[in-house]
Amino acid sequence: MIQLIVRRIGMMILILLVVALLLFLINEGDPTLVARSVLGPYAQPEQLNAWVIENGYDRSVIVRYFEWIGRIFAGDLGYSVIYKRPVNEIFWDRLGNTGILAGITFVIMVLIALTLGVLAGMKEGSPQDRAISVFSIITTSIPEYASAVFLVGIFVFWLGILPGTSSMTSGFDPVQMILPVLVLTLYGFGYIARMTRASMAEVMTTPYIRTAVLKGLPYRHIILKHALRNALIAPFTVIMLQINWLLSGVVVTEFAFGYKGFGALLLEAALRRDIFVIEACGTAAVFVAVFTQTVGDLGYTYLNPRIRFK
Amino acid sequence: MKDRKVLSRDPRRYTLPSERALGADTHSYLPELCDQLQTGKINRRDFLRQAALLGVAAGTAYAMAGVPGGDVIGSAKAEETPKAGGVLKVSQRVQAMDDPAIFDWVERSNVARFMVEHLSRTRSDNITVPYLAEKWEASDDLSTWVFHLRQGITWSNGDAFTAADVAHTVSRWLDPAVGSSNLGLFGAMVEADSEGVKRGIANAIEVIDDHTIQFNLKQPDLAMPEKFYNYPTAIVHRGFGVDYDADLAANPIGTGPFELVRNDVGEAAILRRARDWWAGPFYLDEIHYYDHGEDTNAWVAALASQQVDMIYRLPSDAHESVAALPFVDIHSVTTAQTAVMRFRVTEAPFDNLKLRQAVAACMDHAELLEKSFQGRGQIAENHHVCPIHPEYAELPPLTRDIDKAKALLAEAGYPDGITIEIANGDTEGPWMTAACAIFKNQAAPAGINIEINKMPANQYWEVWDKAPWGYTAWTHRPLGTMVLGLAYRAGVPWNECAYDNPAFDAALDDADGTFDVNERKKKMAVCQKILQDDAIIPQPFWRSVYKAANKRVKGLKVHPTLYHQFHEVWLDDA
Repeated sequence: MIQLIVRRIGMMILILLVVALLLFLINEGDPTLVARSVLGPYAQPEQLNAWVIENGYDRSVIVRYFEWIGRIFAGDLGYSVIYKRPVNEIFWDRLGNTGILAGITFVIMVLIALTLGVLAGMKEGSPQDRAISVFSIITTSIPEYASAVFLVGIFVFWLGILPGTSSMTSGFDPVQMILPVLVLTLYGFGYIARMTRASMAEVMTTPYIRTAVLKGLPYRHIILKHALRNALIAPFTVIMLQINWLLSGVVVTEFAFGYKGFGALLLEAALRRDIFVIEACGTAAVFVAVFTQTVGDLGYTYLNPRIRFK
Repeated sequence: MKDRKVLSRDPRRYTLPSERALGADTHSYLPELCDQLQTGKINRRDFLRQAALLGVAAGTAYAMAGVPGGDVIGSAKAEETPKAGGVLKVSQRVQAMDDPAIFDWVERSNVARFMVEHLSRTRSDNITVPYLAEKWEASDDLSTWVFHLRQGITWSNGDAFTAADVAHTVSRWLDPAVGSSNLGLFGAMVEADSEGVKRGIANAIEVIDDHTIQFNLKQPDLAMPEKFYNYPTAIVHRGFGVDYDADLAANPIGTGPFELVRNDVGEAAILRRARDWWAGPFYLDEIHYYDHGEDTNAWVAALASQQVDMIYRLPSDAHESVAALPFVDIHSVTTAQTAVMRFRVTEAPFDNLKLRQAVAACMDHAELLEKSFQGRGQIAENHHVCPIHPEYAELPPLTRDIDKAKALLAEAGYPDGITIEIANGDTEGPWMTAACAIFKNQAAPAGINIEINKMPANQYWEVWDKAPWGYTAWTHRPLGTMVLGLAYRAGVPWNECAYDNPAFDAALDDADGTFDVNERKKKMAVCQKILQDDAIIPQPFWRSVYKAANKRVKGLKVHPTLYHQFHEVWLDDA
């Protein structure tokens, strides 16, 4: 197991370095483009050249890459040309905001998804199963940008009971969280629910459950004590993947509601070519993706003895 | 000093009784202008614009034109009595508030506009009037301009506003180290040095006295007053970038009545009225800008849930949903905002004149306007001069002619038809793709197969001046000569067509140096016709722009370039 952990962590670091190199080459491979992005569209060629030399961008790209890695480890993420301040000052706030949105969504989504998945999987093929399955498929197949417009149409334009944006300009307002959380939950819960349902349905057909039923154990007891634990192993990996999606895949929802999160920051930086913000956000997104995948793999291995002892 | 010949003044020629009472004199060309207005040779808009050009105060010009009231800074003329106070909340991008000279977005200038002000002001009806400058005069050849500054204006730090501030500001624009786009805008004051770097001409700016400044140009420039209201042309204090950093957020010294309380990029900007305004009453206490990102649906949702009172602009696809909101008014203005399907004439196959003419002949402008922009604008005529421009000359209307297009295509060497690709980035909205798709259908019967290369907006701005054929949006400019000079003169940076026609340049120079509005129209007709005949820019339509605001917001006028002018705005429930 320790060997597996070491191997996985080593692989994680390697992937991070390679992706970081790609990010660096795309953004800082051409020193003139970096100078242009910092000095603006009307800077003269002489000014661009002076900036390149003054900031050491005339050196080899590999040297600059390792320097950049060193600065990241030292906590220096560079300077944002849009925000006119160090990326550090914006980045952690935005990551925190997305953490709040993702945290609330994650708790609500997982609770709903597991509950509905278990309810559907308990009696495969029942009207209850079919209703839950159809609902899950419908909500998951509607992209966030569409459900955001749809829900704004209902709750903002028609009923007029919820704020249409979540920019929190006057401080944190829980009411402004309702619509983005609703959009993310509707989109995300169906996948986990379907996985849980499939896993639960499979467990319900196993001999030990049949034995428990024939022994005359209460149905509630069979579900909670015997079926649920085994049924949750498969959805575990899916749930871990959802964390990744919630941190780096919420761009659309943050965009739709003007929420000042990590995704919106990344999108803004990409649209305006704020390269140091792009690099910081890109690296963080890759880290979260690789880290949650690694944790998912390790957790799955721990929970499922059949994998662990192979 | 350059030898100049400022138009002489003859107070006996034409003076209003009210002016005589004030001891005022008027320009010798004014009687001619008044005759032209009275005999219907020019309309009121042209008269007002020309009068302003002669340095006549806006109120006086309106009185001469017989327009009741007019729009004089600092005097609101709403039917209701304005109420003072309150906070106006606006949904708009909030960007860095550093050096006004390097502003690259209108939104930045909108926040700054309540702190730092301009020499002139182009109003919502596209007429430019004096502002920090009280009046101005031009020489006969339009190459020397004298601006007389208002007296008694002070900066927020207590210093008096003088010609030194204007000289310092304009010098910074013309300094290549600052990196201002004004270096290109004021090209008549710029020349290349021995190393080829463009910078201001040594004697271009001349301070006559504390309240008079003169600009000596190397060539005529009719549009100097209009250029002084471009968004990066706010006048800053003489110590800006010298005695302290060129950072307006850190050093918010201005002639305007507001102070910047907060400017968090990407989040919010808060302006608070800190002192009386030199020009008269300003009703609002505070102006708050909230950044709801790039998604226009979020702006509209903020308006619908009354989180804001107004949005920066109303997207064309949100008209119906916003119109259904009972507490919202939609405001509009006719503009010279447009998008042109411009050819890069140095790139094959668009170096073929007959091919370009064939493509242009397929265009049904009215259908494009109706179907892609819901008819919210007016049709264009492939020459980038708009009917609201004072020098616009009416040419025979263009009609779609498929037979002619087929014949031209055959002459161009493509008797069996051709497939061509247009690059489009929807830089102003999805209506641009719709327009391309409709034009594709219009051109198909002639054997011209148009493929639409749809790309992200930021990607389009990387190729806008390189793609062989592209659909490029252009913002409103108050004069037709301004936009033609920026876009179609040989060798200028924004000449995305790579157009190089000495006959056109000469015709434009001729128009640019002509003061008489009717004469200038005749000369502009030549420019317009050359552009039409050379078929470099099939141009579907001009767009009107819209704003949506809560009904509590009174006195709001939409500016063609979406500049915020709130000196007449007040809140009904203040």
